[in-house]
Amino acid sequence: MRILIVDDEPAIIGTLIPVLSAQGHKVSSAGTIREALKEAESSDFDLILLDLGLPDGDGLEIISKLHQLTSANIIVLSARHLERDKIIALDEGADDYVDKPFGVGELLARLRVAQRRQELANQSAHDEFFSDQLYVHFRRREVRLLGEEIKLSPKEFVLLEALCRSGGQIVTQRKLLIAGWNDPSADSQYLRSYIALLRQKLEYDPSEPEMILTEPGVGYRISLGTQTLK
Amino acid sequence: MLLRVPHKKVVCEASGSLCYRARMTDQSINTRRLFSLGDLTNASFDVTIFALTAAGTYLAQYMDRPITAVLIFLMGVIAIGARSGVYSGVFAAVAASFVYNFFLSEPVFMFGISTADEIVPLVAFNVSAVVAGALAGRLADTAKLAKVAEKRSRFLLQVSGELQQAIDGNDVAEITRRLLPLERLVDLEIYIYRDGALCRSGTEAIFPDPLTALLAEKTSAGSPLSFQAFVLNASNGEHGIVKFFLAPRQESDGDLPDLQALANLLALAVDRCLLLEKAAEATAMKRSEELKTAILASVSHDLRTPLTAIEAAATGLRSFRHDLSDSQKDSMLDTINEQCRRLNRYTANLLDMGRIQSGIPDANLCEVDVIEIVGVVLNSTRQLFPDCAIAKDFRLGAAIVWANATMLEQVIFNILENAFVHGSSSEPVVVRIDASEDGMILEISDCGPGISQVDRPHIFERFYRAGDRIHRRGSGLGLYIAKGFVEAFRGKISARSVTKDGKGTKIVIELPLIEPAIEHEQETA
Repeated sequence: MRILIVDDEPAIIGTLIPVLSAQGHKVSSAGTIREALKEAESSDFDLILLDLGLPDGDGLEIISKLHQLTSANIIVLSARHLERDKIIALDEGADDYVDKPFGVGELLARLRVAQRRQELANQSAHDEFFSDQLYVHFRRREVRLLGEEIKLSPKEFVLLEALCRSGGQIVTQRKLLIAGWNDPSADSQYLRSYIALLRQKLEYDPSEPEMILTEPGVGYRISLGTQTLK
Repeated sequence: MLLRVPHKKVVCEASGSLCYRARMTDQSINTRRLFSLGDLTNASFDVTIFALTAAGTYLAQYMDRPITAVLIFLMGVIAIGARSGVYSGVFAAVAASFVYNFFLSEPVFMFGISTADEIVPLVAFNVSAVVAGALAGRLADTAKLAKVAEKRSRFLLQVSGELQQAIDGNDVAEITRRLLPLERLVDLEIYIYRDGALCRSGTEAIFPDPLTALLAEKTSAGSPLSFQAFVLNASNGEHGIVKFFLAPRQESDGDLPDLQALANLLALAVDRCLLLEKAAEATAMKRSEELKTAILASVSHDLRTPLTAIEAAATGLRSFRHDLSDSQKDSMLDTINEQCRRLNRYTANLLDMGRIQSGIPDANLCEVDVIEIVGVVLNSTRQLFPDCAIAKDFRLGAAIVWANATMLEQVIFNILENAFVHGSSSEPVVVRIDASEDGMILEISDCGPGISQVDRPHIFERFYRAGDRIHRRGSGLGLYIAKGFVEAFRGKISARSVTKDGKGTKIVIELPLIEPAIEHEQETA
C-alpha cells in the first residue's frame, strides 16, 4: 500500500517508516496540514494515517478535503478518551481510528482491515463477506455461521450488512441508525435492541461478544476473526 | 460638600470621613389628618365626661353644696385634660367656666362676674386643666418614646442575633433586609470592597468608588427613596459602605432610629464574614498545596519507576545485544512493552483525576447499557490476564443507565483489575448484575485476603494504596476514579467483605436505571 503518515512527532514518524516499509508498504510523511494537502495533491495514496493535533491546525479540518483529493482510506490517530473527536472524524469521512498510544501490532491489524476493505470495494460485484466463522451473501440475503444458515429479520440483516460492508472498520451509531431507520436521530435504544438480537443469534456468549464488537461511545465493528487477518 | 447631579438634587454632607449623609431635598408632605374615626370616638367620650360632670355639679348645687359642686366640675376638667392633653383640657375648662357662670353661679342663666367667688373657680378650672393636660401629655410622650426605644433595641438585638448565621457578605444584607422595615427604614444595600472596587452584595454590580455607589438609585413606587449612608468600619480599615433607604417622612413620624448603631452591627458582621472567607481560602489553599505535593510525589514515583525499567532495558539491549541470549533479549523487550503499558495507564489515570476535579458535565452522559460495557471490558481483561477465571451472574438482559461509555468502561476495568491483582488465583472473580430497589447493581467480588479494617475507610481516596507502602503497586487512583465517575453518573459505590471474617472484597456499584429493568430472556434453544 502507499501510505501517508501525517504527524508532527519525529519519533513516531522515525519508528513507523521503517516498520511499515519492512511490511512492504511505500511510506511518505507530512508534519503539517499544509504538507499533508500538498502530498495528497501531488501523489495518490491508499491509506492516510492522520494525527489530529497538528502544529498548523486540527486534523479534523482536512478529512473531507483529503477525501476529495484522494481515494485513500483515512485512519485517525486519537487519544482514547476523546470519543467526541473520534465521532466527528468518522462523520467527516474518516474510515477508522487507532487509540494513542498504540502498539505496532494493533496498527498493522487496522492496516490489514483497511486493505481488505479496499479490496472488497474494488471488486466490481462486491456481494460477499466472510470471516473465519461468518459468511454473508448480501444479494441473496444469506447468513451462515460456521456453515449453518441463520435466519435474520430484515432489520437485523440490514444492520449486519452495514457492519459487514465496512469490512471490519468501525461503523458509528449514526451510520447504523441511517442504515436501519433512515434517520440519524432515531432512538439509539432500537439499535441496541437489534444488536442484542443479532448477538443472540450469532455469538457464542452474547454477554461477551466476539463477533459484533462494541466500541464504547463510538459504534460497532464486525470482527474478522484471527485467521482471516493472518 | 454640595453635589449637583442632573435629574435630581442630592445634598451630601460628609461629617469627617466617618459618615456620608445624603438626603434628597424632600418636599415634606404636610397632609395633616383633619378628622378620623379615632378622634371622633375620643371626642364623644370627652363630651360624655363633661356632661356627667355638669350633671353632678348641677345636682350638688341643687342640694345647696356649692363647694362640692365646684370640686366635681374641677375633677371633670382634670380628667379630660389628663385623658386628651392640654388642648382638650383647656377647651373643657373654658366650656366649664361658661357653664358654671351661666347655669350655676348667681345670677343663674346670665353671664357676669360680680364677686371673687365667681373668678376663683374660673381661674382654678383653667389652671388645673392646663397643668393636668401638660402632665398627661408628657406622660403619654414618655410612654410612646419608651415603646419606640424598646422596639428599636429589640430590632438591634434581633439583627445581631440573626447576623450570627451570616457566613458571607451577601448574607449580612439579606438577613437584615428580612427583618425590615423598622419605622421609616425600609431597605438597605451593602457595598463591600473587593479588589479595590465596591461590590454590591447579592449582585454582580461593581462600583469603582463610593460616590457612584451612593448615586445608584433605588426607587419605590416610581419615586427615588431618600437614603443615608455609613462607612462600615473595622479593626483594619474600611470594609465598605451601607446605604439605608428611608420611606418619605410622615407627619406622625418621630426621629429616625439610630442608624449608626445598626451600621456598626453590620460592620462587625461583615468583618466576621470576611475573616471567615479568608480562613476558608487559606484552608482551600492548604488543601490544594497538599494535593500538589501528593501529585508530585506520586508522579515522581509512578513515572520514574517504569521509565527507569525502560531505560535500563533499552540501553542494556543497545550496549550488550551481542552478548545477550535471545530469551534475555525477549524478556528485556517484554519489560519495555509492559512498562510502556503501565505508563500509559498511569497517565490515563492522572487525566481522569483531572476530569473528576474539574467536574464532569452532564452533556458527556448518554444512555449506556452496562451489560454491553461489561462485555467489552471482559473481552479485553481476558487478553490482559489470561490466567484469571471469571464467573458471570447476569440477572438482567440489558441495564440502560445514564453514563459515559468510556468512563464506565474505565470504572469496570479498574475494579476488575484490582480483583485480578489482589484476588485469589484459585477462585474466580465473580461479576454479578442484578436489579436493585431503585436501579441496578453491579458487584465484582474476589476471594483474596480482603481489605483490612484500617484501609477500608480510605480505599476510595486519592493516592491511597492499601497494605505495604514500600512495595506499592498501582497508582492509588483506580478506585478514586471509579468513585468519581460513578458519582458523576449519580450512582453509588461501596466496598464490602465477601465472607463474615473479612476475607474477599466485593465492590458494589449502584446506578439508577433509565428504563425499567428487563429480565434476562429465557434461553430458547
